[in-house]
Amino acid sequence: MATISDIHNATLRDEIEEFLERPEEIERNIELFSRARLLMQDIAVAVIEGDDGQVDRLTRGALDQGIEALEVMDDGLIAGMGIVGIKFRENFLFVPEVLACARAMKAGMAHIEPILMESGVKPIGTVIMGTVKGDLHDIGKNLCIMMLRGAGFVVVDIGVDRSPDEFIDAVEEQGARLLGMSALLTTTMPNMGTTIEAFIDAGLRDDVQIMVGGAPVTQEFADDMGADGYGKDALDCVALAKQLLTDDRV
Amino acid sequence: MCRAESARWEVSTISKEFPSSVPPMTSRERVLAALARQPVDRTPVANPTSLATVELMDLADAFFPDANREPELMARLAATSYTELGFDSIMPVFSIVQESSALGCKMQWEQKDNWPTVRMDEPIWEEPENIVIPDDFLDHRDITCVLEAIQLLKRQFGDDVAIIGKTMGPWTLGYHGFGVEPFLLMSLDDPAKTRDALDRMKEISVAFGVAQIEAGADALTFPDHATGDLVSGDYYDRYLKDLHIEMVERIPAPLILHICGRTVDRMGFIAETGMAAFHYDSKNSPEESMEAVNGEIALVGNINNPETLFSKGPAEVREEVLRNLEVGVQLIGPECAIPLQTPIENLLEIPKTVRTWHAERAVSRTRH
Repeated sequence: MATISDIHNATLRDEIEEFLERPEEIERNIELFSRARLLMQDIAVAVIEGDDGQVDRLTRGALDQGIEALEVMDDGLIAGMGIVGIKFRENFLFVPEVLACARAMKAGMAHIEPILMESGVKPIGTVIMGTVKGDLHDIGKNLCIMMLRGAGFVVVDIGVDRSPDEFIDAVEEQGARLLGMSALLTTTMPNMGTTIEAFIDAGLRDDVQIMVGGAPVTQEFADDMGADGYGKDALDCVALAKQLLTDDRV
Repeated sequence: MCRAESARWEVSTISKEFPSSVPPMTSRERVLAALARQPVDRTPVANPTSLATVELMDLADAFFPDANREPELMARLAATSYTELGFDSIMPVFSIVQESSALGCKMQWEQKDNWPTVRMDEPIWEEPENIVIPDDFLDHRDITCVLEAIQLLKRQFGDDVAIIGKTMGPWTLGYHGFGVEPFLLMSLDDPAKTRDALDRMKEISVAFGVAQIEAGADALTFPDHATGDLVSGDYYDRYLKDLHIEMVERIPAPLILHICGRTVDRMGFIAETGMAAFHYDSKNSPEESMEAVNGEIALVGNINNPETLFSKGPAEVREEVLRNLEVGVQLIGPECAIPLQTPIENLLEIPKTVRTWHAERAVSRTRH
């Protein structure tokens, strides 16, 4: 079993020792980074530090050296974003810092995505994300999107103030098996239920797993509306998306 | 007896029923004394954000969206917090969008059953230099609506009830004008530019605040959403503490700072600003919040909106009111603008519990 000293990058060692508390997360990250190339560790650190210029430069450098795009994405970008998500959940980072980290990840993905598309590599899943009708708030939804992308999902963001028909159209157009709905207002929360009913009426409810979230939303409310899952924060949303996809495949 | 008569009857009776060393006060006196952390005859009940509900709109025959844009309707709906619910304050500014509308933000005024919102995905500013306060800012219909509503309420209720106005802080105006994500990224990338923007936007807060005081407001709510859900306590200290101190110096009325979400990590800083009160969220317990502010600022709050007032019943509301009373929170009320579908019974339970609690204490004092 790998130990923290097997990780070459000192910043990564410090990050794990200072900010990670859950044993399974510590173990997983030590395992991941101890086997990752030095350059991948550097990319992960640049993501954690929100340095988009450095991520851009290092990602290009790694690809120029012939390192596989998938490896750069998994061991560098996604691995770094994994640490960011944990620090956000534990209130070591706040939204401005997470936005900068997501911007850094995006700078790397700009080089990775065309290669993956060309080679036909499939993402772990496609998620439709939107804020329900009557609600213009999007920061919670956008944080979920950043974390989902950071975990390797392809996310189609349909925006704010979206009607049931717009959610249905997006799911059909993308052939997505996962849908996420957000609401910040108690006045717009019921529109999540309206949208779920619209999927039932359209005969599409069994084709898509629906997750919901937002400040006033609770597990109880999600259950009452007939959603498949509720995420209380952005990291929870990623875990839920992975879980729902697994359930979907069983 | 209609609800209005019932509420007034209760208020006048309570003063006789609950003897204390403090002589009976009007609602206005009670709220202003509590904001000054002076003795009160009983704990005031107030919501410095909004008490509008669909049910109250029906009772007042004043509906969203017009009640956000027409002074008579705004005043009529606002007055129900006193006449129908028996709260000690009246807040006519139900939303957080009046200034932003006057500044030229794109608006969605919505319908009876939903809040008006700024289209923050279509920002109007990119740089601090873009922030221009129009010469006729105070003459815009969404500004004069508030000023006229305050004048109407002052004429009708001014001797009895605290009329509370609302002026948005520059951090919230930043979300509206720049968009949430661009503004937060700017705060990380370029602190000097962010301070420049805040300095320009604070003039909007001062202008609207002073105008409301001149119109008759007794106090002002000052929402500035540097919430723990978005930014750190250190951010509050770095960007807003000194600015809020300046607001206290320049706006000549008690200010009630409102920030949603988890805020305990910044309550110590907030307590140092000189604000009269902090309107706090149910994500912070009354006990830890009272300890954090250490008697340096009054607290208003913190009955949970979505899970209690909106979804549960009077028994659960009572529990939360009692918890606040027991630790000495100075003004009791919902944590934020209440959901528009909140049942009236749950709102009535707040002043009812406060009065009962004081009655029981008075009886207990008499026996001992």
